[in-house]
Formats: sequence, structure tokens, C-alpha cells
Amino acid sequence: MEGRPQNERELALRAQRGDARAYEELVRPHQEIAFRVAYVITRNAADAEDATQDGLVKAWRALGRFRTSEPVRPWILQIVANEARNRRRSAGRREQLALRAANVSGEAAPSPEDATLDADERARLLAALEQLPADAREVLACRYLLQLSEEETAAALDVARGTVKSRSARALDRLRETYE
Amino acid sequence: MNLETELRALTIDWPQTPHLELALAHRRRRRWPIAVAIAVAAIAAALAVPESRGAILRFFHLGGATIQVVDTLPHADERPLTAGLGPAISTASAKRVIPRLLLPPIDPSPPIHYTPGRIVSIVFEHAGHPVLLSEFPGGAVYLKKLASGGSQVDPAPVDGAPGLFISGRRHVTFFAGQSPRLAGNVLLWSVGGATYRLEGPNLTRDSAIELAQSLRRG
Repeated sequence: MEGRPQNERELALRAQRGDARAYEELVRPHQEIAFRVAYVITRNAADAEDATQDGLVKAWRALGRFRTSEPVRPWILQIVANEARNRRRSAGRREQLALRAANVSGEAAPSPEDATLDADERARLLAALEQLPADAREVLACRYLLQLSEEETAAALDVARGTVKSRSARALDRLRETYE
Repeated sequence: MNLETELRALTIDWPQTPHLELALAHRRRRRWPIAVAIAVAAIAAALAVPESRGAILRFFHLGGATIQVVDTLPHADERPLTAGLGPAISTASAKRVIPRLLLPPIDPSPPIHYTPGRIVSIVFEHAGHPVLLSEFPGGAVYLKKLASGGSQVDPAPVDGAPGLFISGRRHVTFFAGQSPRLAGNVLLWSVGGATYRLEGPNLTRDSAIELAQSLRRG
């Protein structure tokens, strides 16, 4: 997990005293990852946006229960992901989108490993990931695509850390069967 | 390269992270407990002494809104109708919040805004003046209004749906998640699980009802 910014605790304390600007500063670095976690769960950008927005407002209202000795990112992810699951339950037959590989020939420089996978292999790997059940797909997306820590993944998926380990191992086995 | 490394190395085409307007910048958390305390006191007073003429003079519920007529209004800011409405969202997104979405009778429709707390807002021009249309679910209290004895609350049904028109002296509006502000003449009505609110400085009871009846389904 990333190192905790030194002023995070101070911002959290100020936010708990009602300083809304401190709260915005506290959560701003985590908005993108929170949105992406919500997108992994809802698979719909509009729902992910709503879940992130409402989740961050709920987190503000629940700030009194946040322990400032703890990092804020797992806490934010937990609340936003919970909001995303609520939306997914009520979404019905709403359009859901599959994850897509970025065009690595564009401006963003691919990682060296990514560059070694050709476009067909990337598409095949993502297609195999998409075929997994939601639980397996989400744990792999959190751990490997979003590169969350076990603690953060556990918070986002609302499961124990041990469950993250076992679920990841089983999901990798299933993915391997399909992909390789 | 093993599978974990391949997964970790994939570059995903994530949707662009939206700009999130949290609408907290001027909010002070201590104000809500005060509002809640007023509401609790009001309920207790109304139940204990139905004819009470103390701090709480009258009490109305309509859909997701509560209106209390009180002796003394709390402090509230003067803000334009367009303040704090949140980012623009698509009609489809707005319909997910308010399935029975209403839009102004003009084409193309002005931007639809979304405020945390599941409030959809549209500002548009009507008879040369700005009007704010707010829409929110009816199941819980999303809006509290405190009106003094100088305000008048009259029945104002819209197409047979229950409605109230608040006029006279300006009142104080508390939208969930926002700081209180002063509001002018307002029509509130509730239908189909949603609560609607039209606010404009020049609205009369009849013109507000007429405008409400001219809104079209989104």
C-alpha cells in the first residue's frame, strides 16, 4: 500500500471538527481509485459516478466514526464500494460494460510487460476475466488491475483479508483454465 | 511471464474520472444537528400540545418535504438560485434518481444538475425570470423549510396531486447536505413517489400551478 501522507491525520482531524475544505483535500487523492472500484462493481460509468459522489458525502457524514490513526483510503473505498453494490442491486437490466484494454500505442506509455503482450493477447486475457463470476472478477480487478492492497481489497469487497487471499487464488486458477 | 504479472501489467481503458462536486465547501456540520433538534422539538411539541402557539406554529409534511412555521427564523444566507446545484448530468442519469423526471416546457431542455442527497435541479427562464425546479424522492425527508408567521402556506394541488404554495415573507430552506438559504415563493407538490419544487421570485400561486402543469415528462 502507498505510504500515508504525513498530513492525512491532520486533515482528518480538521474534517472531523467540521472543516469541509479539509475533508475535500483529504479525499481528493482517492477519488479516482474510488470511482474505478465503483466502476468495477457497477460496470456502468453513470452508476459509478453516482456511487462515488454519494459515498463520499456519506463518508463525510460518518466522519465522526473514522479512526484518525488509520489510513483513510480503505475507509473511503469501503463506503463507496458499498454504495456501488446498493446501486448494482437496484440496477436491474441496466447496460453494463466490459473492461477494455487501453490502446497502448497511444500517448500513455505501456508498462514493459504490457508491451510484451500483443493486442490479441490483452483482449483474450480480458475476455477470460470477463467470463469469471462477479466475485472472482472483482477480487482480481481490485488486486491486479487496480493494484489495491489486500487490506484495501478486503474493505472494498466487504470481506476478511483471508477471504481475499483464498478468493484470489481460486479466481486465478479459474482464469488460468480459461486463458492458458 | 506468469498470469499475475500479466494481469498487473494490463493497461485498462477506464472511463474518465468525473469531476465530483461534493457541495461541502460552505457546509458546517453543526448546522444539521440544530435543524434536527428543531424538528424533534417541533414533533414533540405538536404531539404534546396540538394547539400549541409557542415556537412551532404549524407543521406540514408533503412527500419528501417538511414545512414548519416557527416564530423566529434561523440565520440563512442569501444565495442565487443557481448556487450549489452540483455538476450537470445526463437525462438518463437524472431518470435513475427520479424515474418520473419532469422537464421545463422548453426545447432544448436546460442542463440538469445533480446534488449529493439525490436532488435533481434545473434552472430555466420563465416569463423573463429565473425559476428553479428541484426534484427529489418522496420516501424520506430531503427538504425542510422553516417559515415564520409572516409567510403564508396555502393548498395548491397540481393536476389533482397534493401541493402547497409558500408565499409572503421569505422562508429558510434546508436541502439535505446543503447549508440553509433564504427562499422566495415556492410551490411544492408530490406525485408518483417524487416530490417537486418550483421556486421563483415572481411566481404567484396560480402562475406556479400553471407552470407545474406545463412541465413535460423526461
